[in-house]
Amino acid sequence: MSVLSAESRRDFEIHRYPVLIYALVPIAALVLQAWLPRVMGRFAWFDLPLVVTVFFALSRRNPIQGSILGGAMGIFEDALTGHAIGINGIAKTLVGYLAASVGVLVNVENHAIRLVLTFLLSLVGSATYFFVVRFLLGMSIDSNWLAELYKAIGNSLIALVLFPVLDRTKIRD
Amino acid sequence: MESFFVRYRNLVVLLALLVAQILGLAMQVRRSSGGQTADGNSVQLIRLWANSIVSPPERALHSSGSGISGLWNNYVDLRHVRQRNAELQKTVDRLRLEQAALLEDAKQGQRLQALLKFQQKYIYKTVAAQAIGTSGTDQSRVFYIDKGKDEGIDRDMAVITADGIVGKIRDVFPHTSQVLAINDQSSGAGVILESTRIRGILRGNGAGQPQIEDVIRDQRIKAGENVLTAGGDQIFPRGLPVGVVDRVLNDPDRDGFVEVIVKPAAHLDQLDEVLVVTSTEPRFPPDQQQDIATSEALKGAEAEQQKTSEGMAEKLPGLIDPSLPADQQPLKDTSNPNPVSRPPVAVHPDRFTPGNATTPNVPAAPESNQGSPATDQNAPKKKPVVPKPATNQPAANPPATPQGENR
Repeated sequence: MSVLSAESRRDFEIHRYPVLIYALVPIAALVLQAWLPRVMGRFAWFDLPLVVTVFFALSRRNPIQGSILGGAMGIFEDALTGHAIGINGIAKTLVGYLAASVGVLVNVENHAIRLVLTFLLSLVGSATYFFVVRFLLGMSIDSNWLAELYKAIGNSLIALVLFPVLDRTKIRD
Repeated sequence: MESFFVRYRNLVVLLALLVAQILGLAMQVRRSSGGQTADGNSVQLIRLWANSIVSPPERALHSSGSGISGLWNNYVDLRHVRQRNAELQKTVDRLRLEQAALLEDAKQGQRLQALLKFQQKYIYKTVAAQAIGTSGTDQSRVFYIDKGKDEGIDRDMAVITADGIVGKIRDVFPHTSQVLAINDQSSGAGVILESTRIRGILRGNGAGQPQIEDVIRDQRIKAGENVLTAGGDQIFPRGLPVGVVDRVLNDPDRDGFVEVIVKPAAHLDQLDEVLVVTSTEPRFPPDQQQDIATSEALKGAEAEQQKTSEGMAEKLPGLIDPSLPADQQPLKDTSNPNPVSRPPVAVHPDRFTPGNATTPNVPAAPESNQGSPATDQNAPKKKPVVPKPATNQPAANPPATPQGENR
């Protein structure tokens, strides 16, 4: 019985997707994240770029790619706001890195693990965001942790639905 | 050194990214704190790129039917609209059925009310019945009602409505009866034309129209004349409306006779409720019965009083002296309508004159000459008392009847 090293196991379990998915899903997430809150108002308890970041980071199991993807998504989000660019970038960079790092260690095919990871990483992202805004930038912020909790739950539920859908698009060897 | 970067490349990349972004933030913050509100070129470029990527899909969403929100809302609304439409359609159908039922109930109520009013006013005892079926063929104009022998129905009883006669009971079953309509060819009813008083027998013709047969041609028979039951057939009470004369046709079989087509008063084709005349004994309503009883009681009391007065008159001495003329009565009572008549006083009495038989040869002096001056003055006016007939009595006394007052 051959024993796979960590590197070989990681390579074996890396999910690959068509380039179109890599291009369109993040853009769609950014567009919907910019557009749906206009429709749903204060009930837009989700962060689609974060969910997409977690998904690709977990699937790719590459912290560098996860960090870069998270950073890009965050910067795009920041670019659409009037705030300084980099706030969401820093938060999602960290989230992407952590997701990819954890993805190496756990079975990312399990829906429950995905659910819990998405929930926890959402809270980490929110915490990072507040940290950057409050301590790095010295800006005042209305820290409503209940809303962040709802957002984490919303992200988890979206992940529960979205991840299996995106799994269907992966390239099988 | 190289192995360090290789070994910790993930962490290094992470730190590099974080540091780069923190530096970027710092630069932005420094720029804004320096009084420059506008972003730097690089930041503006990033915002432009982000806007260029996100805006077109957003615009497309917005322009295509107000976007996904519109689609979603329209979908939800449409789904609700369909559901609501189905519910409303069901409600409309239910309301239509209820309206039709209520309309039918109202019509039936009006018919029953009219029938009840007629039944209460009608002098004979009747039983209300519902038409429940027909013979199923046009050749036989019979129908069935929901009352039978158990409800007191019997053969040859008249079936009527408030509008007019319908037919007669032909067969009786325990709970149903068969009614032969007046427009059946085998039916027959004695009828009379209201104004011309021409009698005939009503029966149905082949077309299902009632017609009067055995009628001699008469120019007075006109369309529109009322036809009533004659009462001679022992089935239909006299005077019930049958219909009106529709037209008059010559009898093809007999010269000099005509067939009078009658338009029936009752709606023979749309019968729902009918009345069966179960007894031809007159039945008066309570108030009329009370009136009759009062009238009979008054009549009896009046007769009794008259009888008593006559008895008293025989026993008591009369106030009228039969031997005196009326104007010489003690009380000059002229109330007696039938005074005892005396023979007139003769102008030239002779021996045959009553009371002058003892002096037949002596001409008797005129009775007027034997009276008082007052009597003499009245002599020319003296006339024999002639009893007036009883019919003239009201003329003597002031009339007290309403008819007299009207005159």
